[in-house]
Amino acid sequence: MTTPPLYELNDIVCAYEGEPVLEIASLSIAAEGPLAFVGHNGSGKSTLLKLLAFLLPPVSGTLRFLGEYPERLDDARLQTTLLLQDPYLLRRSVFENVAYGLKARGSRDIRNRVIESLEMVGLSGDFARREWYQLSGGEARRVALASRLVLRTKVLMLDEPTANVDEENAQLIAEAILDAWKRWDTTPLIATHDLQWLDTVTQRRIFMRRGKIERIAL
Amino acid sequence: MFRKLVVLPVIQSGCIPLVEGVHDVNYLSEGLFQGFALIFSGNEEVWSAVMVTLKLSGLSMLVTLLVGVPAGFALGYFSFPGKGFFRLLVDTLLSIPTVVVGLFVYAFISNRGPLGSFQLLFTIPGMAIGQTILALPIVVALTASAVESADRRLSYTLLTLGARGRRLLLSTLWEGRHQILLAAVTAYGRVTAEVGVSMMLGGNIKWHTRTVTTAITLETGKGEFSTGIALGVLLLSLSFVLNWAVSFLRRRGAA
Repeated sequence: MTTPPLYELNDIVCAYEGEPVLEIASLSIAAEGPLAFVGHNGSGKSTLLKLLAFLLPPVSGTLRFLGEYPERLDDARLQTTLLLQDPYLLRRSVFENVAYGLKARGSRDIRNRVIESLEMVGLSGDFARREWYQLSGGEARRVALASRLVLRTKVLMLDEPTANVDEENAQLIAEAILDAWKRWDTTPLIATHDLQWLDTVTQRRIFMRRGKIERIAL
Repeated sequence: MFRKLVVLPVIQSGCIPLVEGVHDVNYLSEGLFQGFALIFSGNEEVWSAVMVTLKLSGLSMLVTLLVGVPAGFALGYFSFPGKGFFRLLVDTLLSIPTVVVGLFVYAFISNRGPLGSFQLLFTIPGMAIGQTILALPIVVALTASAVESADRRLSYTLLTLGARGRRLLLSTLWEGRHQILLAAVTAYGRVTAEVGVSMMLGGNIKWHTRTVTTAITLETGKGEFSTGIALGVLLLSLSFVLNWAVSFLRRRGAA
């Protein structure tokens, strides 16, 4: 029995205020490792991630997830997660931020999983006690990433994960993403135009331009 | 005790000169001095007004928050037909005069009114109805604004973390908690400072419905400035504590 692809998109059109911003005739995304969507600003990368995270319904077309048409978006969202380009931290402690998704899922062993995720992004367990306003920009981004890693979802989407991030933090993010793939088969889908950083993560790329797929290099 | 030991000897000894030309200054300083003496001597009349004010504002705020926060959240979070009209109505009610509320509620709870059988006139619950009507628009409008002005990334973040249903709504509300607390403090300031509702619906009955503000009005009218000043100082102290809380919350909200 063959494993269905993560996503199958057919004749997808997404629009903002009636204006089409993403048009994909056909695309299949398999769980075969990290995959990047590469393109300039306005190429439709972020819109595609929002579509795949079930945050933005298409105007037309079909989207299958793990071989099925999702009946309830709430349920489908539990198997995916997205880290925004400018991540938002909840006005709570680091621990509460990282534990939030686990509590929403009714998971067990929350404390150990939170500490494990923080360590994956280079932060010690003591960091969990800090409040959200006590973090630097780089630390806040790592905490936001930890809050997604801890979920161990099928898909981990990251929108421009290295925007406004120094080299050291960018390297930590790359290592954490690859670690999640190795440990839990969490497929990273990354929207970026940072090709130098991307070389350290994956060579599997889909090039996008003006809301359409220009070239696929898998 | 303080009055006996300090205030009276000072006045009797003639330390406060009754010389023409400085008369106005003495008149004020004497009032202020005696006002503090009344506070620290535990004057029963003063503290009765304070207790009525606290009971009344506590009851008003309890109902206001129980109704106003969910209503404000719904107004800010959901889209529904007539939302613009409701928003306009709430914003208009923000500046409703206290005597108009007093008059309106009086018509309902007086013996001849539709709620007359409940005997609410000249009682603390009756006054609380009027104060709730005053405070409710503040809490509804400011809670709605807090929800509407929430960071646009918040809903995406909560959804991508797996929040749904009630958890999604409560988490959105919790993120705006500092602004909602500010709304509550602002509303509390409005109810403790008003006179119109308390006077019309409470009747300023000594030991029963006399609040700090109605007592100040009465004592000033009688020429009893020291009692008025004592009550004014207590009201100002309450205002100071509230403003300190507001500035603290603002700092936390902006952090």
